[in-house]
Amino acid sequence: MQFSKNWLKDFIDIDLSTETICSQLTMAGLEVDSYEDVTSKITGKDSIIKLDITPNRGDCFSILGVARELSVLNNLKLSLPNISSIDSSFKDKIKIKACPEGPSYFGRTITDISVNSKTLPLIAERLKFSDQKLIDPVVDITNYILLELGQPLHAFDRDKLRGNISVRTAFNEEKIKLLDDQELVLDNSCLVISDEESAVAFAGIMGGKESAVSASTNSIFLESAFFKPEAIRGKARHYGFQTDASLRFERGVDYKIQKIAMDRASILLRDTVGGRFSEITSSTLKNQLPKQTKINLDLEKSNDLLGTKISKQVALGYFRGLGFEPESLKKSSISATPPSWRYDLTIEADLVEELARLEGYDSLPQLSLSPVYKKIEVNSQSHLSDLLSVKGFNEIISYSFISREDHDLFGEGVAALEVENPISQNMSVMRTSLVSGLVRTFLHNLNHGQDTQRLFEIGNIFSLKNTKEVAEKITLAGLMNGKVNQDNWKEKAKDISFYDLKGVVQDLLREFKGPYTFENCKIDFLHPGMSSLIKINNKIIGFMGSLQPTYLDRLGLSEDIYIFSIELNGLQKNFSSSYKEFSKFPSSSRDLSFIVNKSIVSSSIENVIKSAAGKFFRDIEIFDVYEGKGIEEEKKSIAISVSWQSTKQTLKDSDIDSAVERIVNSMKKELGGELRV
Amino acid sequence: MNLDSLKKKISDLESNAKTEFGLANDKLELDNIYRSYLGKKGEVNLLLKSLGSLPQEKRKEAGKLLNSLKGDLENSHALITSLINDKANLARLEKDKLDITLPGFSSRKGSIHPVTRTIRDVCDFFERMGFDVEAGPEAEIDYYNFEALNVPEDHPAKDMHDTFYLNNEGLLRTHTSPVQIRTMEQSEAPHRIICPGKVYRKDSDLTHTPMFHQIEGLVVEEGASFAQLKGLLNDFLTDFFGEEVDLRFRPSYFPFTEPSAEVDIRWKKNWLEVLGCGMVHPNVLKSVGVDTKKYSGFAFGLGVERMAMLKYDIPDLRAFFENDIRFLDQF
Repeated sequence: MQFSKNWLKDFIDIDLSTETICSQLTMAGLEVDSYEDVTSKITGKDSIIKLDITPNRGDCFSILGVARELSVLNNLKLSLPNISSIDSSFKDKIKIKACPEGPSYFGRTITDISVNSKTLPLIAERLKFSDQKLIDPVVDITNYILLELGQPLHAFDRDKLRGNISVRTAFNEEKIKLLDDQELVLDNSCLVISDEESAVAFAGIMGGKESAVSASTNSIFLESAFFKPEAIRGKARHYGFQTDASLRFERGVDYKIQKIAMDRASILLRDTVGGRFSEITSSTLKNQLPKQTKINLDLEKSNDLLGTKISKQVALGYFRGLGFEPESLKKSSISATPPSWRYDLTIEADLVEELARLEGYDSLPQLSLSPVYKKIEVNSQSHLSDLLSVKGFNEIISYSFISREDHDLFGEGVAALEVENPISQNMSVMRTSLVSGLVRTFLHNLNHGQDTQRLFEIGNIFSLKNTKEVAEKITLAGLMNGKVNQDNWKEKAKDISFYDLKGVVQDLLREFKGPYTFENCKIDFLHPGMSSLIKINNKIIGFMGSLQPTYLDRLGLSEDIYIFSIELNGLQKNFSSSYKEFSKFPSSSRDLSFIVNKSIVSSSIENVIKSAAGKFFRDIEIFDVYEGKGIEEEKKSIAISVSWQSTKQTLKDSDIDSAVERIVNSMKKELGGELRV
Repeated sequence: MNLDSLKKKISDLESNAKTEFGLANDKLELDNIYRSYLGKKGEVNLLLKSLGSLPQEKRKEAGKLLNSLKGDLENSHALITSLINDKANLARLEKDKLDITLPGFSSRKGSIHPVTRTIRDVCDFFERMGFDVEAGPEAEIDYYNFEALNVPEDHPAKDMHDTFYLNNEGLLRTHTSPVQIRTMEQSEAPHRIICPGKVYRKDSDLTHTPMFHQIEGLVVEEGASFAQLKGLLNDFLTDFFGEEVDLRFRPSYFPFTEPSAEVDIRWKKNWLEVLGCGMVHPNVLKSVGVDTKKYSGFAFGLGVERMAMLKYDIPDLRAFFENDIRFLDQF
């Protein structure tokens, strides 16, 4: 809400600088967004103050509300502008019927208004300072009262109303065309103002088009009503809009101010458009009005919580200023009934906040919280990030929602969770993998000249298990391309390969408990011959590989990029809890070279060797793989260093020789491998 | 041969050997010369073998003379060897001399995202104070995001959070506060928890991104007070910025705290909002079955990007999610 500072002077005799007023308001919980000095043609030096009002303070959506706060803060008397009743000249024919959701309704007919009149300059200027458009004198006055007293009013064209007026819930599929020309289809959760034929206003939200005042309006029917917050809440929003009236009604309007607002508007209307005023007709269902209940406050407890020493006298004074009717009870207790304009005060804690607010939060004491011992667990995510960062990877954070197109590319057909009201179609699907974010980030950086990139992200991925249940998994994924190292003045760096990717992945997997294995896989966006599933304890936890060439084409890439992804949920940190002694005896090793069919994978060779190598087997290392000249086509040579060691003795050559013999035999029998001599 | 001619031979041998040692250019030459005098078939051994032609009584003296010659030559050889080695080393040092100002072959540098860094910094402080780090789902349901936090259906407070709704009738959490509820449901008071994570709001402009990070803190203990909340946040902000910061508490509104406050810090002359906080609303404690007669609580929440922008002087919020390597490399 924004308003002219001088307007406040209609209510309180305040003579403080704008800066001081703004600071007081902010520190009392009515945050001043900004203020601007202006010159009023009527009142001289003025400022426009813009407030950000929190949803609990509906009472401050008016000059009256703001002035009331300032009156308590500065101990000033609050007085209302002229609200004396004006003389009426006839009795209105219209009868009014309130209902439980709209329990109080005041109406009055004004005939023979002057069509050519103009809005008073002061009203016009204040509305302008409040960023309100000037429409016509009648509507301008209703808007003025809304800002001044916080009571939304509505003026109907009296001649367009058919019979009596009632407040009622809408019929299902009841149609109404509003002032702004939108046509709504209501349901029975909506409240309307109705004449004897149809709805003429969406109650508390906006008037209807058909009964709107126009340049030719001769008589008006003025409404000043109270609708329950819960009857208005969310209704306008449901149809995708909000109005100054709905904003106030849904936060709560003072249920005792309707008559005052009617009188005040009548005075202004008389002074502007003239006319003949009917008596005020009204309908109020007293037992349907909000009930303000007494709240008890234990001042001692409140002082403990706040660390204050507020006396009973001071507390009673604060509450009186705020419009409560406080009573002093026994001991340190106070009871207070909140005023009719406050909807945010229902429990003791609410009163504690009022005390704290008026004391000033800044003046409340502060105490250090004592630390409590606890064991700090090593965060395994931080550990993995650090490890990758040392390896040259940049951590990225990308949006959890991606485009449909990216989901189709990288989502592996997983059923995705979708955003129903996305900010754009590019952010409408919850990612089912981290790959698209990495690839998009890679492309962005490639366009900015980064030829070699190492990226990783740790974040949640989402999928739908059925129509309702979501699986949300924390995942680590990375992307790499380009060179193994940076070129330097001595040598050019090599291009990275699948095995560089696999090296990174293995280094990560070593951090987790359980043996890891790799298996061929079929993932749409990965090269089928250069990709692998990653398993720990024989359970699939991720994948890695080179991006499928058709994907490279589609993304306009000419060089390979490599990707890995590991789901972190359920993985256990691998740390040794006890020391294992190493052998004091020397190890012996033999280099063996076998000729095998090309199709035989190294892991099966390793397995054969491991199981044939006997009990002293220690380690195996593949140190060369060769195909080509000197080797038959369809065959390859694979050179392996095998080592043995005993913890109890130095091994004899004969021990090793027999193990080698077993290996050679097994290789031949199981894989058709020939020892290359 | 008599002793005198032997002595003469020894003296010639000594002077020749020493001269030749001195002329040797390198280790190989020196070793050849050494062998020609002191090797198995060297001059000294030949002389030794010729001792038999001396009279018995002279042999002992002759032996002594020869041994002393041997020792003498060994010493001389050792000396020359070390001279030659020194010379060779000096030559090598000269030859090996590098341009040490040429760049080293270092490997590429990685980085930790500033948001992650900030989360670590914040959590470090609170972990030292005895807080447990907790996490919760980002795809939430209305109950945890709103209802249990005292935000009823259709309440205007929901307008403060422009919510993304999901096609499973759920929503993307608009704050990290649901983790409070989940934690209090799962374990008994007292609590000290800190919950970092991603949150989502339907808002996108210069100062808002539809996804950002928050850190939520909760203390539920006997005697937890507003004064402690003020003290804790003051200590935290000092720790985070590494120096005393000017801060102010002012009243605000969150449905799940009462009293509620906003914390501003003075930054380059302006007050900047960095934290929201308050005493946990009794309705929230009741909804998770905490005994409000025994326990009170306070909670606070901060925006990670905002804190990182202040700490690292980053002008543009959107940089965090653009992930430009020129940006990332600075962290």
